[in-house]
Amino acid sequence: MRDSIVRLDKAAKAFATPEGQTVTALDAIDLDVSRNEFLTLLGPSGCGKTTLLQAISGFVQLDGGRILIDGEDMTDRPPYRRPVNTVFQNYALFPHMTVGENTGYALEVAGVVKAERTKRVGDALRMVGLEGMEGRKPRQLSGGQQQRVALARAIIARPKLLLLDEPLSALDKNLRQSMQIELKTLQHELGISFIFVTHDQQEALTMSDRVAVLSGGRIQQLDTPRAIYDQPKNSFVATFVGASNLFEGEAGSGQLVTRDGLSISHGRQGATGAATALIRPEQFFIAQADDSTPSLDVDLEQIVFVGSTFELFGRTATGRRVIAEIPAMRRSLVGEIEQTRRARLAYDPAAVHLLPAEAA
Amino acid sequence: MKIFATLARGSLIAYTALFFAFIYIPLALIAVYSFNANPVNMMTWTGFTTEWYAQVLGFKTKISENALYLESTSQLVEALWNSLIIATSTTAIATVLGSAMAIALYRFDFFGRRFYRTVMFMPMLMPDIVLGIALLIFFVNSGINLGLKTIIIGQCTFLISYVFIVVTARLAGMDRTLENASADLGANEWTTFRKVVFPQLLPGIVGGALLAFIISMDDLVITYFIAGVDVTTLPMFIFAMLRRGIKPEINAIAVMMLTFSFLIASLGLYLRSRQK
Repeated sequence: MRDSIVRLDKAAKAFATPEGQTVTALDAIDLDVSRNEFLTLLGPSGCGKTTLLQAISGFVQLDGGRILIDGEDMTDRPPYRRPVNTVFQNYALFPHMTVGENTGYALEVAGVVKAERTKRVGDALRMVGLEGMEGRKPRQLSGGQQQRVALARAIIARPKLLLLDEPLSALDKNLRQSMQIELKTLQHELGISFIFVTHDQQEALTMSDRVAVLSGGRIQQLDTPRAIYDQPKNSFVATFVGASNLFEGEAGSGQLVTRDGLSISHGRQGATGAATALIRPEQFFIAQADDSTPSLDVDLEQIVFVGSTFELFGRTATGRRVIAEIPAMRRSLVGEIEQTRRARLAYDPAAVHLLPAEAA
Repeated sequence: MKIFATLARGSLIAYTALFFAFIYIPLALIAVYSFNANPVNMMTWTGFTTEWYAQVLGFKTKISENALYLESTSQLVEALWNSLIIATSTTAIATVLGSAMAIALYRFDFFGRRFYRTVMFMPMLMPDIVLGIALLIFFVNSGINLGLKTIIIGQCTFLISYVFIVVTARLAGMDRTLENASADLGANEWTTFRKVVFPQLLPGIVGGALLAFIISMDDLVITYFIAGVDVTTLPMFIFAMLRRGIKPEINAIAVMMLTFSFLIASLGLYLRSRQK
């Protein structure tokens, strides 16, 4: 068994809405986070990911279940006595303190002497690339710099676990991408676990060792980014992470037949019963009319150029929507089908993933 | 069209000039006449002197030796002294109670919270004359002798509201996640209050205190009802002077009060700008 830093044992939490209903934010969640792991909680808003994070940091009291951090029961401990620090969504820097005072806050509160505090503040700011900025006030910094101060402040006390609540959502795209890589590097340098909350699937896939996809207060799937993308456990995960073409139908050996009569080949021998086949848009390629590889014939409705790829929006003869992504390299082929408005989209049956059928 | 635009612009400038003239010329006149050497009629200019100021501050001057002049400086100084004692005490009490109340109503959710909030606004809406007479009836019926003590208690009833409102406004602009951030970094509630909440609240508390001080120094109506016969405050003294005949030293007093209020307001603005 892997060395666990955080363990949630049937953690449960429900909120009362102002309209008098109850919303289940955490539905008996079990979760193990390993030491040095970068775990991402991914889900749409209202899925319980922030509640889960706040339950770990202590701002949300559980209705049931337990939370263990490094083997110690933390369920009833107030936030200020948990060995966990958080990077807040809006940074939550203290506006009346300088960058140095903000960064050193945890040490000051813990009673660390001034000389050591100054040294460690310098070290922490160096780690996030803000060397010598101690004297500035937060409002004099850019959004990206404020983000780094929040990070420095959260890591200075060497927490066992760092929680990040959508910390990059306020940054522009380029900065966000460079921060993603920096966060990952920082996590390796510090050698502590990160739990990162986001609704951005790209961010989750880029940074994480494992991703937990949440919906309705439950973990739908907890797996590596590749497994989440290639072998989603259900249609929620398949559609939330990446674009997808789903074909529900009756599976037979090597074939799945949909209700509207489409036949999808798949690599799974001996599959039976109701199932859903998943084909990612980039798995399609444009085949010649006489090609014998498994394929779908579609009428094209839209061809969108997005730089690295073309996105094809088509419909099968039975009216089913299909999305395909063709590398921009293949632009001569795309030029051809742009003329005919028809395409034969071929795929590799071995790459088709079968999802179990779900109770509707 | 161009003529019309020029005309509109000209009228706007004229209106603005008149507007400010109307507000500030009376004040400027008082400042000018506070240097008028005429000992009897303060509206007739007879020459420049600074003796009114010297007189108010209690120095021997030629004016006080003039036969036409009635001596009242010692009473004036006593009235000023009373006002300062009252203003300092009420400011201290109102600031502590008003701020504490604002923090409690912001921080905790308890039964009757909204009711308390409404009740705190009431004394500001109440006409001074009603509050004054109500306080007088209350003090007389409960057998408390009127004097400094009753003025202090009486003024506190509405000054607490002013402080409460200023501090509440400041609290409303504060970010609750900062308290969470502080707790997350290991600070307990008291430390969080001391290091995060209070420093951010301080400009509001200081602003509330300055406001309370100025209002207390300035209050006439309510104070008049509850002062009794032995105690006179500065506004009461000036008001009484009006009835006995206006004396030129009133100009000097007015200018000094104005300067004092101006200094306090500037201090408040400076503190606020420094915090931003």
